[in-house]
Amino acid sequence: MLYRLASEVTVDDVYSSVGFIEGILSLGFILKLFLDIIFDLIGRWHLFKKFGEKGWKALIPFYNDYRLSVFADREPDGRVLMFADISAELLSYIAPLFIREDTNRLVSIIVNAVSMVLVIISMVYTIRVCLGLCQVFGRSKKWVIGWVFFNSVCLMIWGLSKKFVPAPKEEVIVKAAEESGLEAKEDDNCLSINLRERSAVDFFKKKTLLRDVHLNIPKGHMVLLLGGSGAGKTTFLNAVTGYEQADADILMNGGNVYKDYESMKYDIGFVPQGDLMRGNDTVGMTVADAALLRVPSSVSTAERKKKVGEVLDIFGLSPVSTSLVDKLSGGQRKRLSIAMEYISDPTLFILDEPDSGLDGVVARGLFEKLRLIADKGKIVIVITHTPDRVIDLFDDVIVLAKDAERTGRLAFYGSVQDGLDFFGKTSMEGILVSINREEEGGEGRADEFVEKYAVYAKERMGGPAA
Amino acid sequence: MNENIKHQGRIAQTGIYLGKLFRLFVFQSDWKVLPMSAVIAALVSLVVAQNLNKTMEGTLMGAFAISCICIWNGCFNSIQSVCRERSIVKREHRAGLHMTAYVAANMIYQAVVCLAQSVITIQMMKLSKVAFPGISYVTGNPALDMLITIFLIHYSADILSLFVSSVVRSTTTAMTVMPFILIFQLIFSGGFFSLSEKVMPVTNATVSKWGLTALCSEGNYNDLPMVSLWNSLFAMKDTEIEGVKPYEIMIERTKDISDEDIDDLVEGGMLSQEDAAEIRKYREEDPDYAGELFLRAKVMQKTAESNYKPQYVSTRENIIKCWTMMAMFALIFGILSVVALEFIDKDKR
Repeated sequence: MLYRLASEVTVDDVYSSVGFIEGILSLGFILKLFLDIIFDLIGRWHLFKKFGEKGWKALIPFYNDYRLSVFADREPDGRVLMFADISAELLSYIAPLFIREDTNRLVSIIVNAVSMVLVIISMVYTIRVCLGLCQVFGRSKKWVIGWVFFNSVCLMIWGLSKKFVPAPKEEVIVKAAEESGLEAKEDDNCLSINLRERSAVDFFKKKTLLRDVHLNIPKGHMVLLLGGSGAGKTTFLNAVTGYEQADADILMNGGNVYKDYESMKYDIGFVPQGDLMRGNDTVGMTVADAALLRVPSSVSTAERKKKVGEVLDIFGLSPVSTSLVDKLSGGQRKRLSIAMEYISDPTLFILDEPDSGLDGVVARGLFEKLRLIADKGKIVIVITHTPDRVIDLFDDVIVLAKDAERTGRLAFYGSVQDGLDFFGKTSMEGILVSINREEEGGEGRADEFVEKYAVYAKERMGGPAA
Repeated sequence: MNENIKHQGRIAQTGIYLGKLFRLFVFQSDWKVLPMSAVIAALVSLVVAQNLNKTMEGTLMGAFAISCICIWNGCFNSIQSVCRERSIVKREHRAGLHMTAYVAANMIYQAVVCLAQSVITIQMMKLSKVAFPGISYVTGNPALDMLITIFLIHYSADILSLFVSSVVRSTTTAMTVMPFILIFQLIFSGGFFSLSEKVMPVTNATVSKWGLTALCSEGNYNDLPMVSLWNSLFAMKDTEIEGVKPYEIMIERTKDISDEDIDDLVEGGMLSQEDAAEIRKYREEDPDYAGELFLRAKVMQKTAESNYKPQYVSTRENIIKCWTMMAMFALIFGILSVVALEFIDKDKR
């Protein structure tokens, strides 16, 4: 019977039925697309509300995915995702303009390859954001499969279901310590720092890294710069040297570092954290080239050579002057790095963790050299994570701390002993413990000390001067 | 503070860094690029020696291969040179280094390295018995013309890589980017792979196009015979199609060879004087042999005519244009390297 029926079916019947099926499929596809959009919008709207965000923001294309990444604590991934999605969308509009029937196959291949790359990037970063969402919602990572293949359905479920609740975020205390009202008075025998604010803009958001730091450092002092991770120590040093300018006045030797940066940068020696020297050059030539670069051109060749010899002697590098830098020990490399800056005889000498990777004996020898430099009337500022082993060599201590808004603030500046008394501690590490945040293993008293220091400095100076 | 204190200017700083780079050439592994270029040149010479500057196909293929090795050498010379010491350069910039001086020193140093590599490449080609062009269109010495071209290909590719090295922040990224540069240069040389008219303007932005053009122009590409078709035809000598041998039909049609036809082929460089004499001698006694010699020359002449490429025209102006373009590339990428390095302070700590 079936066979008979089938044999009676004509070609036209088949064509018409295929057309009918195609029509049904097309309708189904349009319906699915429509439902996808509806589910997506409703789900997102409610999801945004769960994070305390206005629902209408879920309707902004591309930006809504970026916001989702922020909720998922994957903001950097969200940027890439947004970039890839916008690029793919733009390409889908631009590509037809290039690819026509008579277009070279190569152009089509390039366009297709770029599209493919963008799609892969988008997929990978979507997975990353979804993993973040799973973490925030405390859900299994298996949900990622659902997010990738049934995105709109997942958005609906996560948005509407009351079982899906994001983990509450840590309460952010926005009440940070008040401005100190201090101001460092200009003094020719000091480095005067009046740093009002140092901020940076990251993806349209302003972040204040450091503010309200006012102090005078006398010449001949060796100063320890103390602060926990992210307290703004390197930011502070870069601002003081004029390398990364802040809203500040940095005065030294009667000049303003920012206004006269091109001439004054030679009066500031900055020794970076790593051994930034060419390993395959000789020690002698490294110092000689540093001298050529840093010493004024008016200095004769003979004088310069003499100076190079003296500096090699001071830092105990003469015996290895013909050796390659790569062959030096850790201590010798640090000394060479310092010698490269010392050659220009700077007034301000700044060192970022010069003792990292050195044992106690070698580190002490290095700091004794720095003490000698300070005793020659220079200002030496040092960042170190192991200050207690050499604290007797320092005159003063600057303590930077992260306030409640996570901005670097001045928590203390004064002599080492005054610092210990001020914080009620017996060691520099103890001071660090008191200002570090609780989640960092500290006591979380940064704001308390920032405010206390403002009062202390005013009392000590008898007025609003640091 | 004395504002009048002067420090070393750009020229003096260029000298300092030039000295440093040559010291590093000796102490670091940079010198290894010279033996490497000798080995690469020897390998390529082995392949291209037979037909370079002798046939159209051999010249195009050989010129392409030489361009490729020059670009390869050039890219490898400097692709890591800046990014491997980026943090050091950043420190020195902080201490008063002018980026113009740094890039100028690198450009001078790389010019010397590229020149040495070019001399090595030419020497290896000579040792491998590669045929050099018979005529010089610019300097009066064909080998010197070729040396200048090879140097400029090396150098422009080298400075292109110097620019890439100035932009990227790690050696890993540099080595990831490099294959893409090479592939782009090879595909868009405009000579070896057929590209549509619309894409052809892109080829003007590649070193390979100008290098390939200069080498083909110097090698008299348009005046050389094309042998592929004759070789295919000769291979089909005994092939029958529906009981007929097409090769024999063609030979049959060359029975009446006139002196004018022979002279025409001799003048066009498709027939040697010896072969012309053979044809004249045997056209009566052994017409098949004479016909074969004549047919070979005629086929090569016709295929060469149909493969004439105006861009490879062998003139002084064409070669100098190619040299100028490559020199311009080097200059532009040098300037771009300075611009890129001026932003080195923006690097994250």
